Amino acid sequence: MPEKPIQGEKRVFMTGNEVVARAAVAAEAEIMYGYPITPQNEIMHYWTRMLPKYGLRFLQTEDELSAGFTTTGGVLAGRRAFTATAGPGNTLMQEPLSMAEAMRLPVVVIVQQRGGPSTATVIYSQQEVTMTTLGGNGEGLRVVYSTATHQDLYDYTIKAFNTAWKYRFPTFVLGDGYQAKMRESLTMYDPALRGIAMVPTEPYVGRAGMPGVDREPTLLRNTYNVEEELFEVLEQYIADYDKVAPEIAEYDAFATEDAELTVISHGVVSRACKEAVKELREDGYKVGYFRPITLRPLPVDQLRDVAGQAKQLLVVESANGQLDRLIKEAIYGSTAEMLSMFKPGVGITTEEVVARVKEIKDPARSDKLRVLH
Amino acid sequence: MAKPVKIILAGEGGQGVQSIAQIIAEAANEEGREALYIPNFGVEQRGGVSVAYLQIGDEPIGAPKFLIGDIVVALSDRAVRRTKQYVGSETLFVYDTGIKNIDNDLPKNAKKVLGIPAIEVSTKELNPRVFNIIIMGAVLKASEVVAVEDARAAVENKLGYKFEKNPELREMNFGALDRGIELVASLL
Repeated sequence: MPEKPIQGEKRVFMTGNEVVARAAVAAEAEIMYGYPITPQNEIMHYWTRMLPKYGLRFLQTEDELSAGFTTTGGVLAGRRAFTATAGPGNTLMQEPLSMAEAMRLPVVVIVQQRGGPSTATVIYSQQEVTMTTLGGNGEGLRVVYSTATHQDLYDYTIKAFNTAWKYRFPTFVLGDGYQAKMRESLTMYDPALRGIAMVPTEPYVGRAGMPGVDREPTLLRNTYNVEEELFEVLEQYIADYDKVAPEIAEYDAFATEDAELTVISHGVVSRACKEAVKELREDGYKVGYFRPITLRPLPVDQLRDVAGQAKQLLVVESANGQLDRLIKEAIYGSTAEMLSMFKPGVGITTEEVVARVKEIKDPARSDKLRVLH
Repeated sequence: MAKPVKIILAGEGGQGVQSIAQIIAEAANEEGREALYIPNFGVEQRGGVSVAYLQIGDEPIGAPKFLIGDIVVALSDRAVRRTKQYVGSETLFVYDTGIKNIDNDLPKNAKKVLGIPAIEVSTKELNPRVFNIIIMGAVLKASEVVAVEDARAAVENKLGYKFEKNPELREMNFGALDRGIELVASLL
């Protein structure tokens, strides 16, 4: 056995891409498949740098379709396998990941969002939310963690492998170009020391014994002959998903109890919103902060509570309403006023969120609202 | 709660602004403080203005980018024009006096504008290769976000392998750091 990649705990300062690679090693991932695309390239660079020492493997494929399919192949063979991509690569990867949904394969995918549509920018966006949460053809039977800090990247990359293998749904860590390239501190740790046991993997194919005699035969299908056959399988999958969704869903929130307006955001944008809400509170504004950590499944009950409390919800994102649509669906029927701050493909600063809330809450408008209520 | 110090460093690709932003961030981290450094990394990185955003504080840092810097450093004519947008009434704006044709582009709304002859000093007294380390010294003095000895340790950490091969480089780099500190000290 090679030595453990992280002994105990260690405070480090590095880029998000390096964090992901190190977290995957700490999570006992065995093989990465990938095709280069900015801004996630360094994940495979760091992974390949570490692989001789820890006996790991890497396969560079000819494109992202292939990277996605080979990752499903690794999982079928019982390997803790993952891939990483971004932008147009994420688009191509939806086809194999749709097959992973069809076969309930626990693939793990890291996405570092870049600007879209098409090649757009190599820099940053939150425009891969719809695609990553709902996927290609199918029903979006997948789990998506949206990270905000390097600590999140480390924690949720490890967690993604366990979520995937425990529930057998494709699992995503949704970062972005800022998180990929920026440097900040975090604490890396040996998961075992935090009481995190890695869920054991097992092969789907090539298992011991005679099928039908020594064990149940393995049925792996992404093709059905009749509608009813497909419906029966999907009904079961959807029931399974709905059952575990509440235990998978995660969020972060503060100051929502007495908030008149709650700011909802995810990922790196939530850092700006968190600071903005703290500043606005100091200035006497009754604002709250809510961040879904899982975008799929969403923390629906908590969102509905927040929507029931606040008169106004302000959705802030670096996309033109991709999070907003998910939120609106989750809180359907709420009478809270929906407000937005959409900056597709562009970063959002604390100052801008503060300014937006103040614009909403300016005295003239507040008076009018008081009369209305 | 004290807000983090926000620093923008901008120059031409190759002037080394990203390297010094990273070294200062690492020095702050080694001091146990919170630091966040993010480069711009669009296509402009190859032959355009290179901008580094750096924040150092005592609490975890919020958004990686910001609108107004406490210290904004511009090292070329294009960088001066590009970074004017980050200047506010509390900003200390630092530029190199060797940059031509920018008199009308220098920010009028800054708290203070400091011109330092870093390009000239690096060429005449030291070596153009350590120009960015002079700037690093200037940033250290202007911001006082990290102790000079910790910055030295971070330089050693980053460039030590080069210093081992050529000890003169160590002297030259630390000399440049001290000169950068002096240049700003004489103006404050």
